[in-house]
Amino acid sequence: MAKIGAKRAVYPLFQLGGPQLRIFRPNFFMLAVRPGVPQPEDTVQFRISMEMTRVDVKNYLEKIYNVPVAAVRTRIQYGSNRKRNHKNQRVKKPDYKVAYVQLGQGQTFQFPNLFPEKEEDAETHSHDDFRNKYMEREKQRQEGDPRRESMSSTSTNGARTGTLKSG
Amino acid sequence: MKLSSRHLGKGQSLLSPSGALARRRLRRQVLWDEGAGGVMAVGVGVAALCRRLQGSLRLSGVRPGLMTAGIPGLTPGLFHKSQVKVELLHQFKFLHTTLSRKGLEEFFDDPVNWGEKSVKSGDAWNIKQLRAKSSEDLHKLWYVLLKEKNMLLTLEVESKRQLKPMPSPERLEKVEESMKNIDLVVREREIALRLLQTGHEKPVPGEWRHDFLGRTYWYSYKEWPIPWYLNKKYKKRKFYYLPHVERFIRLRLEQSLRTRARRQSLEKTKQKLLERKFPHLAVKSQS
Repeated sequence: MAKIGAKRAVYPLFQLGGPQLRIFRPNFFMLAVRPGVPQPEDTVQFRISMEMTRVDVKNYLEKIYNVPVAAVRTRIQYGSNRKRNHKNQRVKKPDYKVAYVQLGQGQTFQFPNLFPEKEEDAETHSHDDFRNKYMEREKQRQEGDPRRESMSSTSTNGARTGTLKSG
Repeated sequence: MKLSSRHLGKGQSLLSPSGALARRRLRRQVLWDEGAGGVMAVGVGVAALCRRLQGSLRLSGVRPGLMTAGIPGLTPGLFHKSQVKVELLHQFKFLHTTLSRKGLEEFFDDPVNWGEKSVKSGDAWNIKQLRAKSSEDLHKLWYVLLKEKNMLLTLEVESKRQLKPMPSPERLEKVEESMKNIDLVVREREIALRLLQTGHEKPVPGEWRHDFLGRTYWYSYKEWPIPWYLNKKYKKRKFYYLPHVERFIRLRLEQSLRTRARRQSLEKTKQKLLERKFPHLAVKSQS
């Protein structure tokens, strides 16, 4: 309760023989991502806080999420600083740390599809109906316009010219 | 809008076969500010969670409940993997070949909410409401909120990857605010306890120091393995200013006084303007 794992947190100095650092309310985030490159079945890819180490990741998953972890590998992904905004200033994409976690006990993981296609509900139906009615009304209004050449008048003339008259 | 609390049955513990579902229900009810009844449910139902957090984690590979239930798709055994995978394709639910996937399931929302355009959620936790909770409850709530935050961040990144809008992004802000409030409440309690026990307010001692530009700031002491006179980097730091800086201190002081005077006069003129426009709303002095 006393110690918080957060940005700019002041941790007590560790010297040989000292007590193990314990963080009571960690503020470290960890989010699962869909791997860009296909990973083996037991590997899960996470984006983690920059301050976390692989030991931290292992403890985090085991203690908070109850997931058995066999191995963790981490790397830091550099976010590009190349893009420029309308003032020609460089815009930095934030750096982040990636962790590849291999699950223990022979477990596997597939990143799920979080946006499955759902059936249209009443709202979309009503919107479509409204749109169709509007289009019909517009068409009727334009058909009744005397300035426009109707199809029946052109067809009764017989001779059809190649050029189309614009309405 | 506050969600109604759903009572967690006393018989149900978190490590039971329906543990994942129970924990999800618990998460939902605890997360978005429930009534006092919900706290009791938290206390009763999450005793196992508390034990897990405090003590060492005892990972049992096979949960006896699932073995006896014989739920298809969840029975253990590596040789069942191919069999189960075929079933998986027919189900939208987030099932996996092996046990305790409930761990990684918590990185994702309830499968019912996948693909929805918006997900309902209650209000963020208020400081006043949190002050009424015990420290144990706050500790548990912190972890619940942390897991929810992880879930929302996962959803956010995935939605960007799939070029779809994230359903209800305001949940993230609510969770952040709740966590900040918990932090404040815990800090308040710590300060109160420390004042009673030691008489000090701050956890780390410090003092007011000058920097080389003459500015005064609070320097908090840091822990070093060596004394300061052996610390080369520390000795290079200047906690004093030379006489020529005094003129700039005076200029800085004048600037701050000027800005303060301008702000006060602006406030007065605005007040006068308002009183002229709305004389009936003027504050009457009690004499």
